[in-house]
Amino acid sequence: MGNEAVACGALKAGMTFFAAYPITPASEIMHELAEHEPEIAFIHAEDEIASIHMAIGASLAGRKAMTSTSGPGMSLKQEGIGLAHMMEVPLVVVNVQRVGPSTGMPTLPAQGDILQAAHGSHGDYVPLVLYPSSVEECYRVTIEAFNAAEDSRSPVILLLDGYLAHLQETIDLDAISVAVRPRSLAPLGQGRRHFTGLLAKDGIPKTKDTAYYREWYARVKAKMLEAAAHYRFFDYHKNPASRTLVIAYGITCRVISPLRDSYSLFNPVRMFPVLEDEIRSAADEHDQVVVVEMNDGQYRGEVQKVLKREVRGISILGGTISLKEIREQLRGL
Amino acid sequence: MDYKDYIKWDRMPTTWCPGCAIGTIFKQTAFALAELGLPNEEMTVVSGIGCSGRAAGYFNVDSVHSTHGRALPVAEGIKRANPGLKVVVFSGDGDLVGIGGNHLLHSARRDVDLAVICVNNATYGMTGGQMAPTTPIGMKTLTSPHGSAYAPINIQGIVTSNRRHWFARASAFHIAHLQKVVREAIEWPGFAFIEVMGFCIENCGRRLGFKSGHEMLVKLRTDYKPKAGPEGPLGEFELGVDKNDGQVR
Repeated sequence: MGNEAVACGALKAGMTFFAAYPITPASEIMHELAEHEPEIAFIHAEDEIASIHMAIGASLAGRKAMTSTSGPGMSLKQEGIGLAHMMEVPLVVVNVQRVGPSTGMPTLPAQGDILQAAHGSHGDYVPLVLYPSSVEECYRVTIEAFNAAEDSRSPVILLLDGYLAHLQETIDLDAISVAVRPRSLAPLGQGRRHFTGLLAKDGIPKTKDTAYYREWYARVKAKMLEAAAHYRFFDYHKNPASRTLVIAYGITCRVISPLRDSYSLFNPVRMFPVLEDEIRSAADEHDQVVVVEMNDGQYRGEVQKVLKREVRGISILGGTISLKEIREQLRGL
Repeated sequence: MDYKDYIKWDRMPTTWCPGCAIGTIFKQTAFALAELGLPNEEMTVVSGIGCSGRAAGYFNVDSVHSTHGRALPVAEGIKRANPGLKVVVFSGDGDLVGIGGNHLLHSARRDVDLAVICVNNATYGMTGGQMAPTTPIGMKTLTSPHGSAYAPINIQGIVTSNRRHWFARASAFHIAHLQKVVREAIEWPGFAFIEVMGFCIENCGRRLGFKSGHEMLVKLRTDYKPKAGPEGPLGEFELGVDKNDGQVR
């Protein structure tokens, strides 16, 4: 199951602190990790806000930490995501997407939180978002999410969807080898550092210093982009007979994989920062670009921004996905 | 150790207004730390948002100034990650009891080994003086211009609703007592919560007719008295400790 693979990947990456609040369809990550107490610290917190802040505290205190949730909880976690960006705390936040807004359709999968994953918290920051599309990738990409969190010293968002999270596939974990990064942040107890959500220089608040803000932002942006450069994960299957490039991710990419006989398929695993060069060069080889996704065109807008030309979209709404329907819609474009 | 070892002198002066109670409470906390002789590398101070929340940055230790209401979950994550670290939470009533109220319920229930110093000035000082959950009934603030319609929250009741508990009330006037309970709270193996009665002259007191911080300090002396008689629940204006080690006798 995708959720179990995330839990296994986290343990493989050296995660020793997990806090979360139960929510469909993410709860199995909690269930799996609860079994690993006391080797890891596990807290079933009072809510999603508490759980992400506990993970931030644990990360500051020296442990690789993770929290997991679904859309309604992800909305609550935005406060902590912003804090982790500001304090530069490594962290992995898993969002197993379901149909929203609000409580929506809890048991049905969606991909409606793409833009939220990038810019859900207030203010400017460079997001690092990964989205696997198979159970094996759930395992592998979770480990890479922890690596990316250490490299970037930031909260890395790992997206799943309710379908992928509950997808059952047999994988051989021993056959998968991913290098694990060590901790990048010295734990609390060094003496006199100050971590704050305020704009600060060496722990001293600089809340009215515009020049310093600009200098700080340039530094963290460069840091994020440099770290992200090591995680250019994507899958590109070129079909020389096709004039259409289909872009899809997560479970959608999995469902449409039989279409590779007729179309070129591009699957961005690193969703943000958007793989601009890779998408551009794949698109250059095709007359038409279509993004197929379980939302109303969220990633299509991002791709269009990169390509600066019209990108078509197929929106699969309401939690049910059908290869037949997608095939027909593609033919109709 | 000297209390001066626990203060970041290069951060002085503080952000607090002249006549504010927080400075006294901050300094007594530093005295208590010195008395315990805690090495700076073996402790951390965590705070949320607000005037009191700024205190974390003034302690000469690795410290965390988190978001509004979240001092307790951050502190709990730290404590679970490194049980060897002494974790002190220093924040205000709006932060710990208002926006962070849910976390207070549950950190207290889980009996996390934290020492929580809650400065209760009965108002939201940093944002200009709005009504807090601790604001007395009838008190005028920016968001209760006709007087608060609600009874203030009973923090003691919340903390002591757990069989095993440690709750103290202290005041910014009774400084020897304050220092003693801060020390005891840090030594208590479990969740220890101190409600320190403070005051805010600039954004609360003046509106009520107080002329200076000193006048508000004197009012603390008049209003609050150490609890007389056996240990147990504190009356509304009593200072002291209400604790229970959780053993059934």
